[in-house]
Amino acid sequence: MTDLQPLVSYATVQAWLEGLRQHWGGEPERDDPERFEILEAFCRFVDKNPDAIVEECVRVRDGERTVSTKGRRRYADLIAQFQSQAAGSRLRRAKWGNTVRSFLIHNGILLQAGPQAGVEEPRT
Amino acid sequence: MEFKEVIGRRRSIRFFEPDKPVEREKIQTMLEAARLASCAVNAHWAKAIVIERDKLPEDKLERMKTPVTALNIELAPVHIYWYADLSVVNRVEGSRLKELVDVGALAPTHGWSHKFVDEFVYPQILKPMTESPGYAVGAAADCGIAMCQALLTAFDEGLGACFSAFNPAVAKELFHVPDEWIPLYVLLVGYPAESWEAGGQRPRPPFEEQYFEGEYGAPFKRDEAVVEKLKQAKMIQRPATPNNPKRIEEIKRLAERLGLPL
Repeated sequence: MTDLQPLVSYATVQAWLEGLRQHWGGEPERDDPERFEILEAFCRFVDKNPDAIVEECVRVRDGERTVSTKGRRRYADLIAQFQSQAAGSRLRRAKWGNTVRSFLIHNGILLQAGPQAGVEEPRT
Repeated sequence: MEFKEVIGRRRSIRFFEPDKPVEREKIQTMLEAARLASCAVNAHWAKAIVIERDKLPEDKLERMKTPVTALNIELAPVHIYWYADLSVVNRVEGSRLKELVDVGALAPTHGWSHKFVDEFVYPQILKPMTESPGYAVGAAADCGIAMCQALLTAFDEGLGACFSAFNPAVAKELFHVPDEWIPLYVLLVGYPAESWEAGGQRPRPPFEEQYFEGEYGAPFKRDEAVVEKLKQAKMIQRPATPNNPKRIEEIKRLAERLGLPL
């Protein structure tokens, strides 16, 4: 199991919080502290730290960073699995998946999972 | 709604009511509007394939999704795939121009006759045009006019809509698209889940950077009195602004309702 440092020490987590702050205002660490628990649970689920997760969704071609189609798809599937295994109502499970999606989105990884509310199984 | 207000209210809607069906009559009305659009040489290159999302098997719907349209493909109940049929000019060989001559739209007063179409326009202009590299661009521009009429009609009918790119290879296979048709955009249609205002009119480049008078570089002078009149007519509306608290709240509410990430 990967040793995780405090999440806020990772550059990608800082980018996430900055993105949330800029886009939605407020203080994301204080407004919803559960988002850290969820991201940490996902890191343990995939056995990777946050920076490594983002890195796997990116590839470098001709010196330029682009989104890796393969990596993005893989993580879209992993998030769907993670979400389906979470405890609680559909909305609760959706929150688990969407928190991780938000982390990737604010790190420049485009993810569209479809509406997660009102569906039996999460759609990827 | 008055014409200018329809233009003013149009926004690219990206939050649709996923479970509110769109009346077939409204889709037909959009297509009727497209059919009446102005078109060079009366060719009518624009073709469309209407897909009702819920009639498409799940596996096919999945295949139509692209990274940037996956959500809207799922939210919008109706998808209209637009194409330019490049074969039409050589298929009709000027006959639609002669129809215009017959109904007096193109008259001898302007030099038009059947003989002119048969001996000059089709063989010497239209046929060679279809072999020129710019042909597809011209045809696509014409289709854009028809598509825009369908788009504005959607808003006039109380619907929301948004043009998106799509995967042409998958669409060709699934919808049996003829080889001569070139893909343009998909128009996603549904009832908006967001307010009609959707945060306000989208940012646009300054008027003077876009339009010129007499020559390039001399901006077309914008008369503020006209702007004011258009505001009164609701064509020019409140512009969208960054960090608008009302819009932020609206998106948060939609995200919660539909189960979307923030």
